[in-house]
Amino acid sequence: MNTLDPRQLLRDSVLELRGDGKAGGGLVLAFQSLANLLLRDPEAQVQEWPFFSSARRGANIRSFLRVSRRAVTSACEVTRPTVVLLMDEVAARTVDFAHGVPSGGTFVLNTRHTPEAAARHFKLSGRVFTISGDDVGTKYLKAPIGNVSAYVAMAAAIGGMDHDDVVDSFLKMLKKRRIPDLVLGRNRDALLASFDAVRTGTFDCAEASDHQAAPFAGYGELPVGCQTPLRLSEKNRTADFAPSGFRLRFEDPNDACTGCAHCITNCPEGIIRFVPDDQIGVKVLGADVSQFCKLCQECVAVCPENLFKSAPFEEHWQEEEVPVS
Amino acid sequence: MSATDGTKAPMRHFTTPSGEIYPDVIDLEPVRAAHHALYESREEMTADGNTAAAIATLQMWRCVIYPGFPITPSTKWIETVAARIASDPTTKKRVKLMEAEHAVADYMVGAASACRDLIFPTATSSVGLDHMTETTRSLGASGLGNVMIIDVYRATANFPLCIEGDPSDTLAHRDDGFIQIAARGKQQIYDTVIQAPVLGMHPEILTPTMPGYYGIKDSHRNARLVVEPDAEVNTWMDKWLAPCALPGLLNGDTAFGNCVTSRHFQGFKVSQKRRYERVLEFLPRIGASFENHFGRPGLAFFDAVGFEDPSVDVAVVSMGPDFGTFEAVREGWGRKNSLSTAGIAMRLLSPFPRDAVRERLKKAKVVLVVNQAHHMGRGHLTLDVVDALSDLSSPPKVVGAFAGMGGADVSEPTWERMLDQAKHALEGHPVPPYAVFHEGMTL
Repeated sequence: MNTLDPRQLLRDSVLELRGDGKAGGGLVLAFQSLANLLLRDPEAQVQEWPFFSSARRGANIRSFLRVSRRAVTSACEVTRPTVVLLMDEVAARTVDFAHGVPSGGTFVLNTRHTPEAAARHFKLSGRVFTISGDDVGTKYLKAPIGNVSAYVAMAAAIGGMDHDDVVDSFLKMLKKRRIPDLVLGRNRDALLASFDAVRTGTFDCAEASDHQAAPFAGYGELPVGCQTPLRLSEKNRTADFAPSGFRLRFEDPNDACTGCAHCITNCPEGIIRFVPDDQIGVKVLGADVSQFCKLCQECVAVCPENLFKSAPFEEHWQEEEVPVS
Repeated sequence: MSATDGTKAPMRHFTTPSGEIYPDVIDLEPVRAAHHALYESREEMTADGNTAAAIATLQMWRCVIYPGFPITPSTKWIETVAARIASDPTTKKRVKLMEAEHAVADYMVGAASACRDLIFPTATSSVGLDHMTETTRSLGASGLGNVMIIDVYRATANFPLCIEGDPSDTLAHRDDGFIQIAARGKQQIYDTVIQAPVLGMHPEILTPTMPGYYGIKDSHRNARLVVEPDAEVNTWMDKWLAPCALPGLLNGDTAFGNCVTSRHFQGFKVSQKRRYERVLEFLPRIGASFENHFGRPGLAFFDAVGFEDPSVDVAVVSMGPDFGTFEAVREGWGRKNSLSTAGIAMRLLSPFPRDAVRERLKKAKVVLVVNQAHHMGRGHLTLDVVDALSDLSSPPKVVGAFAGMGGADVSEPTWERMLDQAKHALEGHPVPPYAVFHEGMTL
C-alpha cells in the first residue's frame, strides 16, 4: 500500500478533505480554520462548506474542503477525499466517515483510542492520526470540546505547517466570532497542548470492498404530500442527536413510580416503556434509549419521583453499532 | 432659508411629473461624512457568501439603515451587519430588526420613499421572500431603485421544507418587477451587491434590485475574497449615482402609489416595462465601468466558457455554483466523446437577456438547459432559452434537464449523464421535453 501525500496532491492537482461530526461540536469552525490556514499559501485556492439539515444540535453534519494551487471550480460534494476527519465517534454510528477514501489515504479521529485500534475497528488502510481531543478540551476549555485538537491533528496530517501559523489561524477564526480574550487564551493553551498529543501510524486493515459508497438507488416510493415517515424518529434515529457521552437512565429500585404517566404523555418520541398495573394504572419500566432518545429531558423534568436522569455514558465500540459497509 | 429682512424666502423647488421637489430639505453631506470606513485599503480574506454581501452593504455610505428578519440561509447577512455595527459605538448606521419579512418590505417602502438617494438593503430567503410578496410587487412598480433585496436562494416549492439552495424562490418572483441578478462565488457576490443599486437607481431605470446567490452552496461556502477600500467603493458608486430627480416623501409631495382607473393603469405598466428593459442597455455599461475601476469582471448577462468557436456541438445553459462543476468536467467529457462543449452561467435572470443569449447560442448544435428550480413544465430557464432561440430560422435543439433541486448535489457523474443526454439528441435520437438527473442517473 502506498500512502498518498496530501502536500503533493495540493501542489499537483487538488486536495479534497471531508469531516463528519455533530452539530454544535465545532466541526465547521475546525474546517474554516483549516481553510484559513491553507490560504497562508498565497497561491492556494480553497472552497470550504458545510452540509447540515434544519435538525437541532446533535444531528450529524459534514464539512467539505477543496484546496489547490489551481482555480477550484468544482462545487459538488467531496466523495473521494484523501483526508477525512471523524470529529465525534457517535457520528460514526450512522455514517461511514471513511467511505470513498482511496487506499493510502489519511484518517484523523478525535478519540481516546490508539491509531492501531482505530484502524482495526474502522478497517482503515492508510495513515491514521488520533488525538483525545475531548480530554484536551475538558482540561483547557472546561468542556469536552474536541475540535481544537482535531484541527491540530488535521494540520499535522496534511503536514508542512508552521505551529505558529496553526495557532494563529484558529485564533483568528475565534476572534471573528468575538470570543472573549479569556477564552482565546484557553484555546491557545489547548492548541499548544494538542501538538504533542497527536498519535499516528500507518496500517492496512481495509478490504477492497470496505468503505465503498452504495450507488444511488432512487428515492423509492414517497407518500402523497409531505407528511412523510422521514420526519418520524423511527426513521431518523434521534438518539444520535443526544449529546455525546450522555444517555437517559431510568432507575426505580423502590417501586416509587406512581403511575402518573406524565413521562408517557410528555415524551416526544413515544419511547417510554410501561405495563398496565392494577394498583396504579400504568407502571413505567424505563425507556428505549438505544434508537430514539435525543435526551430532551422532558421525562426528567416531569417525573415527580425523579426516576429519570441524564447520566454519563461511555461510548463503547460495539461492532453492531458501527455500520462500516 | 431666510431673507435678510426677516421674511422667509420661498423654499427652492421645481416641478417633476411626480410632484413638487424641494431639493434643499435633505442634506446628504452629513450622512456621507458620518460614514466610518470598514476598510481603508484593499484587503484579502476568507469569507462566505453572506459575509461578502454584508461587507459590501456596510461599505456604502448611502446605506444607513438595515431592516431585516432572519431566515436560513440568509441569517448570517444580518448577523454580520449587526455585529459590525454593534462593534462601532459611534457609527450612525442602524439595524432595524422587524417583526416579519412583510414588515421588512413595508419598512423599506417608507424609508426608501423618504429619501431616494440612500440605499436600503435587506437579505431574505425562500418563504421570507414569499412573505414579502404583497409589497415586493408594489416595490417593483414603485420606481424605488434604492431598494435592494438580497435573495439567498432556498427552495420555496413548499412542501416539503428544505433549507438548501435552489433558485425556486427568486424564479417564483420574476414578475415582481425587480432586476434579478444571480452571482456565484464570494467575489462575484461582493461585486454584484456593489453594482446592483447603481443599476437600479439609474435615472433611466429606477427599479429595485434583487441580487442573489445560492443558499448553503454559496452563502455558507468560504473562499478567498478581495475587499476594496470603502473610499473606492463609494467613489465608483457616486460616479454613477446622481441625485434622484424625483421627490421623496420628505423632500416632495409624492406618494408611494395611487389607485388609478383603467384609463391609466396600462400606461403605467408600459412605462414600468420600458424602464425595466433599459437594464439590458445599461447593465453592460455599468459592468464595464466596474471592471475598469477595480480590475475584475463587472456585471454581465452571463458568464461564458468555451465559446472560442461558437459552433459548438453542445452548449450548456445553467446558473449558480454547480456550473463550476460543469467547467471541471467539460473538457474531459468533450475529449472522451470527441465533441466540443461550451456553456453559459446566467447572471441576469430578469429581464432575461434574450438577444444576448440568442447571439451566444445560435451556432450551437444542441443546447442543454439545466434547471435547478422546481417548475411544473420544462423549467424556467428552458422556456426562456427556447423563447430566445425561437426567432432563428433553424434553432439548435433544446434539451431540458433538472438537477440539484432543493440544493441536491450535482455531482460530476450527474453532469456527464446530462451531457450524454445532449449527445443523444445530437445524434438525432428523440429525447423527452425534460428529465430529472441525480447521481449519474436519469430519474
